[in-house]
Amino acid sequence: MTVTPEPVENAVRWAARADRASKIYGSGDTEVHALREVSVGFEAGRFTAIMGPSGSGKSTLMHCMAGLDRLTTGSAFIGGTDLGTLNDKALTKMRREQVGFIFQSFNLVPTLNVRENVTLPSDLGDGKIDGAWVDEVIETVGLGDRVTHRPNELSGGQQQRVAVARALATRPEIVFGDEPTGNLDSKTSAEILDFMRRAVQELGQTIVMVTHDPVTASYSDRVLFLADGEIVKQMENPTADSVLDTIKNLGD
Amino acid sequence: MFKLVVRGIRANLGRLLLTLISVVLGVAFVSGSFVLADSLRSIFDGVSEDIFAGVDAQVRAIEPELNSSGENEIRFDESVVDAVRALPEVEAVEGGLFAFEQTYSLLDDGEVNRPLGPPVFTASWDGPSAVSSFTLVDGAPPIGQQVALDLAQVNAGEFAIGDQISMSLPTGEPEDFELSGIIDFGEGGAGGAYFNLFDLDTVQRILESGDVVDSIVVNGGSTSVDDLLAAIEPVLPEGIEVVSGETVIGEQQAEFGEFINIFGNILLGFAVVVLFVSTFIIYNTFAILVGQRTKQLGLLRSIGASGTQIRLMVLIEAVIIGLIASVVGLFGGIGVAWALKQLFSTGGGSFPDGPLEIRMRTVIVVVIVGLIVTVLSAIIPAFRASRVSPLEAVRDGGQKERSMTFRLVSGSIVLIPGLVLLVLGMFGDIDGTAARLGAIGFGAALSFIGVSMLSALFAGRAAGTLGAPVEATRGINGRLARDNASRNPQRTAATATALMIGLALITGVAVLTASLLATFDDLLEDALTADLFVYEANQGLDFSSSVAEQLDALPETDNVAGFARVEMLVDGEVEVVTGFDTATGTEVINPGVVDGSADLSLEGIAVFEETATERGWGLGTAVPVEFEDGFATDLTVELIFDDRSIVENAFIVNRELSRQHVQIDDISFVGVTFPEGADVEASRVKVEEITGAFPQLTVQDNTEFQEEVESQVGQLQIIINGLLVLCLVVAFFGIVNTMALSVLERTREIGLLRAVGMTRNQLKSTIRWEAVIVSIFGALLGILMGLLLGWAAVVAIPDSFISKVGIPWGSLVIYLVVGGIIGVIAAYFPAQRASKLNVLDAISHS
Repeated sequence: MTVTPEPVENAVRWAARADRASKIYGSGDTEVHALREVSVGFEAGRFTAIMGPSGSGKSTLMHCMAGLDRLTTGSAFIGGTDLGTLNDKALTKMRREQVGFIFQSFNLVPTLNVRENVTLPSDLGDGKIDGAWVDEVIETVGLGDRVTHRPNELSGGQQQRVAVARALATRPEIVFGDEPTGNLDSKTSAEILDFMRRAVQELGQTIVMVTHDPVTASYSDRVLFLADGEIVKQMENPTADSVLDTIKNLGD
Repeated sequence: MFKLVVRGIRANLGRLLLTLISVVLGVAFVSGSFVLADSLRSIFDGVSEDIFAGVDAQVRAIEPELNSSGENEIRFDESVVDAVRALPEVEAVEGGLFAFEQTYSLLDDGEVNRPLGPPVFTASWDGPSAVSSFTLVDGAPPIGQQVALDLAQVNAGEFAIGDQISMSLPTGEPEDFELSGIIDFGEGGAGGAYFNLFDLDTVQRILESGDVVDSIVVNGGSTSVDDLLAAIEPVLPEGIEVVSGETVIGEQQAEFGEFINIFGNILLGFAVVVLFVSTFIIYNTFAILVGQRTKQLGLLRSIGASGTQIRLMVLIEAVIIGLIASVVGLFGGIGVAWALKQLFSTGGGSFPDGPLEIRMRTVIVVVIVGLIVTVLSAIIPAFRASRVSPLEAVRDGGQKERSMTFRLVSGSIVLIPGLVLLVLGMFGDIDGTAARLGAIGFGAALSFIGVSMLSALFAGRAAGTLGAPVEATRGINGRLARDNASRNPQRTAATATALMIGLALITGVAVLTASLLATFDDLLEDALTADLFVYEANQGLDFSSSVAEQLDALPETDNVAGFARVEMLVDGEVEVVTGFDTATGTEVINPGVVDGSADLSLEGIAVFEETATERGWGLGTAVPVEFEDGFATDLTVELIFDDRSIVENAFIVNRELSRQHVQIDDISFVGVTFPEGADVEASRVKVEEITGAFPQLTVQDNTEFQEEVESQVGQLQIIINGLLVLCLVVAFFGIVNTMALSVLERTREIGLLRAVGMTRNQLKSTIRWEAVIVSIFGALLGILMGLLLGWAAVVAIPDSFISKVGIPWGSLVIYLVVGGIIGVIAAYFPAQRASKLNVLDAISHS
């Protein structure tokens, strides 16, 4: 079911947005409010970081926005589609075609080689994919000479690069990263984040990532700070220092 | 440490439960076999005691060395009854006469009222005294033109006491008898057999036997059994003996006990096969569990557990599983035995009821077998677990694989002796078919283990090849299924093994039956030249030779030949010899004349070629023979023949000769030809008018005979397959288990696939096809092994029985499909579970 596109405000196009999104786990005494009526939009072609302490709801927000989890109340949209109206099959199709994922680890299917991992979402669908584009993406992440390697033949950094390539290969509406560099050393992290940065700048890709690292967050255009299931602050054009300061202040 | 084991079991309960099922099935089979056999034995012991209750002594003919009376007891003059009755020591005496398949009650429409399978007995009413083996349920004993029938027969015919019942008689002329009473045999029936009881004079008249009996039962009242025997002995003529009732009961019980033993041993044999298959499943489960717990085991090692302690831990786990499975299997088996017994007594006609016999021996054997099988299967995984290094607690990644060279060497060490045994069984200098088949059986068991070990070497590539068409047609799902099936060759091999064994045995049986039928078809083509033949198809019983005479008298028939079975001494050994109508015999069958003439004289004998060669006989050799009446002479070999398919025996004599020296001139087979150009259909109607008076007889032409044999062999195959199907059930659970464990192991991968866009149905399809590829691999191996085993068995079995290898192509295709279907069904629950996984939980699964 498709919902008519929302009216465009200030000529901004939202790649994804949440409208009074709440997520409650458990019930009664054990009720936990992971998200409390969060309304937020992710502009197309921008790189957003979501930060917050453990339990702040940052991962929950991302999971619900990405169609991996469902909201208790409120709505989440990708493009103009209300995820709440989709059944599991349609939601799966949505993830396959409109969403890219970069997880912290275990991003790749061990039996598939690099190229097969990159084309996996498309192969799960109709298999129609721009081959030249796939080659270009793989080339861009620097794995052009390793397309037939299996994941266990790659380093951790290389594996994450494959994940980035996969997330970009289908030209999704939005890419979600869940601590995408959390397991990597700083040099490799920087490489991966540069790729993501370039994808936003040069390709106009929309990326949202969850991180707890101020340096990582500094690669983004905008940082959202969550605490206790609510957005408590946001910051445009962050630097590592300004993010760190904000985190310190939030703790007070 | 024990606590750790218990926790371990509890944590892996689901997976272990599935393992449990495979042990339980095997153990239940063992326990069921024991309990059923023991119960049947005790029930029939009771029946024997029941029938002969009140019989202190029995007078009967001494079983001679030669007895051509077939199923019937040897008859002797009725005057003996009076001699015994005259003794003051005896209180009650009854002479009796008994015959197989001679009289039948007819239904209103003239159809024969007879049970499917069990025989119909004709007997004299030996009651109402204490020695009677029959109980009168209703009405009165039969006198004169009266008959008493058993309850089942009365119900089937909807007869009532006082009805005039038309009875078919061996004379060929039906007569009406009044139903005087309803009887029961012993207590609770005789396994579905029918009884037609007349008074002694009537039985003698019907059977045209003259004044004879075949048994006299005696009750001595207050006389002791020893005194009774001593008193009767002197009045008996030569060749007649008296034995105590206890002796008779003992003989009957021993005879039936032997039958039960064979029955029980066959069941146990199948149970052993099922347990053998289970071993691979248990081994596989423990191997996977140990592999999955590598990290945990490494941790235990790093905090100070020794290798020995780890090994012990796994073994204790096996002991606990084995114990639980044994107990569950024991009760399961008792349940199955009970159900079968109920089925026999209610479903299959009147089968006597009795308590279940659960012996201590059953309990002990079952528990020990269950324990041994489980622990034995866990030994290799236990040793592997004890070799986990403490470092593996911190290292990420799966278990180490054994080197290929090690597998190649160890697999070959098992496979080669197995194959050697197979070849020995086929071509070796071994005496006796049983010994040959034994060698093949042992060879097969070793080969199964060897192939299972070696198949890990090529399972990966094989699964890849088998998966290619799946990938081609199923896209990415097929691709993932194919990769998953081939990514762990050891696991694929072990999982496929169980299916391989099950299908190998089923295929082997199919090859054997196909070969048997091919051999038979070939022989029949040449051997049987009759247009029609007549025989008792149910139990192969003899029948009156008057059938042949009446058929011969028909104007429609051209040649009519009867064949008799006669026991005689040939060159000092007891042999069954065919009595052959020399004038017409070769018109209806072809014995395969090698040398000499089939026109045997009264002084001639024909010898089967192999037998003649063995004994160094040729045409003209004088062979000393002796008939059952004591007539001894030398017969000259006048014919060497090589086709025993119709003439089942190795010797043939002129029937004119044999009939002069036997007590009952019965025949077992009549062949009929019609004149050239005769109306076969019309002539057959005439033949059937005559045989209609002998309801036990079947009239068939070549095609019908062939179909009959095929259906009989087919039924045997179905029964064997019914028992072997349990192997497939065990294999099925093995696949379920492996798939479930694999799914669990790949939880994160599944989460990832779902996150990047794999639908539930796609995921299920992936898992299903993986299982199908593994199953087809096992099925293919099984079919190949089965072909090898079947061929080996055909070679080992003498040519006179099976000489030609038949390959049941159609069945092989079906087995392959069945293998695939087993995979599909086995994948159902693991796939269902996988598809229900929450994507987020799966992705963060550790």
